[in-house]
Amino acid sequence: MASGYRQIDHTGDIGIIVTAADRRELFALSARAMFEIIADLSLVQERSQWPVTVEADDTEALLVRWLSELNFIHITQERLFCRFEIHQLTDTRLEAWVYGEPIDPNRHIIFTEIKAVTFHKLHIRETAEGLEAQIIFDM
Amino acid sequence: MNQYDIKKITDYLWELPKKGGMRVPARIYATEHMLPHILSDNAPQQAANVAHLPGIVKYSLAMPDIHWGYGFPIGGVAAFDVNEGVISPGGVGYDINCGVRLMASKLTREDIQPRIQKLITELFNNVPTGVGASGQLSVSKSELQRVVTKGAKWAVEQGYGTAEDLEYIEEHGCIDGFDPDKVSNHAWERGRKQLGTLGSGNHFLEVGYVAEIYDTKAAEALGLFPDQVTVIIHCGSRGFGYQVCDDYLMVMDRAVRKYGIVLPDRQLACAPVQSPEGQDYLGAMRCAINYAFANRQVIAHYTRLAFERALGKGPAEIGLRVVYEVAHNIAKIETHVVDGREMKLCVHRKGATRAFAPGRPEVPAAYKAVGQPVLIPGDMGRYSYVLVGTEKAMEETFGSTCHGAGRAMSRNKAKKTARGRDIGRELEARGIFVMGASRRTIDEEIPEAYKDVADVVEACDLAGISKKVAQLRPLGCIKG
Repeated sequence: MASGYRQIDHTGDIGIIVTAADRRELFALSARAMFEIIADLSLVQERSQWPVTVEADDTEALLVRWLSELNFIHITQERLFCRFEIHQLTDTRLEAWVYGEPIDPNRHIIFTEIKAVTFHKLHIRETAEGLEAQIIFDM
Repeated sequence: MNQYDIKKITDYLWELPKKGGMRVPARIYATEHMLPHILSDNAPQQAANVAHLPGIVKYSLAMPDIHWGYGFPIGGVAAFDVNEGVISPGGVGYDINCGVRLMASKLTREDIQPRIQKLITELFNNVPTGVGASGQLSVSKSELQRVVTKGAKWAVEQGYGTAEDLEYIEEHGCIDGFDPDKVSNHAWERGRKQLGTLGSGNHFLEVGYVAEIYDTKAAEALGLFPDQVTVIIHCGSRGFGYQVCDDYLMVMDRAVRKYGIVLPDRQLACAPVQSPEGQDYLGAMRCAINYAFANRQVIAHYTRLAFERALGKGPAEIGLRVVYEVAHNIAKIETHVVDGREMKLCVHRKGATRAFAPGRPEVPAAYKAVGQPVLIPGDMGRYSYVLVGTEKAMEETFGSTCHGAGRAMSRNKAKKTARGRDIGRELEARGIFVMGASRRTIDEEIPEAYKDVADVVEACDLAGISKKVAQLRPLGCIKG
């Protein structure tokens, strides 16, 4: 199974299915997939980096927290991210550096707003080739 | 396709009988013609799942626009005994107090049709829309604390609109029982720059006109006349509300274990209304309710200014007044008669609108004789409806009815359907001028992506849980 992600339909909302070799890659690719929904990432450059740390009760909740936190920073600090480096990852804690730049309305194309990362049909599953995650976003 | 054991109650009402852990039956309002589509997804199962929750009273209800949601179906109504029942953030939704304001003017269609392009452009430039839109208003946390305790009244005090507007808003634009101490820092942060913004997705501001009147007496009471220019504002509590929901889903997930509540679906996470978790959520949710009331009041003010600038007329000449404003994602403590006795209930309306009968104290004096106005927006190409609440709604649905059309296509399918077409041009050819934050937003919201709202409204009217008053048709629209 190759690493990657694809979008899936869910009535009024959008979901993603992400496949990866390990958990770090799974979390990083999930973030990338989420920002692909939000903006045209081909126009986003790695001009700065920011640290992000999140904690949760279990791995699935941690994935929701991680994506929710990135969406929070994107909205409140008006930044776009295109690359995600996960340094530490346990079942309940994640530390990462995320790369991107402040939103420039003249240069960036923003497609949509994600209201929330949901627990609806959420799963992280081990497969023969690696890991798979499904996440649905409330749009 | 799901197999449902469905029983016909009347031509417009269907029941999923009690089975397994269901404490009450689930009931669905729909015409026979709508039923196969409704039964083709998981929403009826979700209505049945809600019937498992502790303290649920009478029925788990679904309106004709029911569709698949997170845990609770969208188009669902569920009432819980305030002493023995639960409250659930999933029964309200992410966009707390998402709702609709209808304004009506002194102008007629002929007055604005030649200048519709100018008017919509002016609206688009003055009402921040779209993605993470930051408003012209950026408030400090301490000011935001005043916003969430005063709601639309805060906006009026700042000069956005008049005190008379408040008379025609559900709860007069401010719900009591808020508790800002129960709101997280993330929610304050998300709410700071988004006051007076529409947001993205299905939110919109539409200029239209009264195309048809079904009930002359009610239309007169509401001050509606043929060809009258109207404005519909559809939006909610923005990031502030999304964050409150997000925060409390986590709290409730733990509360379920703490109180030993057995759920058929983790997303129905809830806590007893009287528990600390339940009370905290109520306090925070009510802050978000008030945020949304303030938000729509500010947008209404920008709308009035845009009309003045685009038409070169004064406010008295335009006369844009609030007909009414309803919430359609909300939980409220209300008193209802159940089996002959008065009960205090926590009524959840998720994608459902309050539809109180004539005479109820909550209905504005001017509308007492006809009932509470109910505003049902459709898609941007067809029509929207004004209805009024009925006694039958009080008896059967805790005074509730439908909230909108509901999507027929996913966003991706809508985009595919719109590919190679110029949706803006198509709508313009039909006399509707649309501006959106991006072309993609407009494509995702093409009229075909939605079910025909006329069917939904008709089902509610035939079932008697609200009565049709007027149909509005669009002239122009801005999309978030």
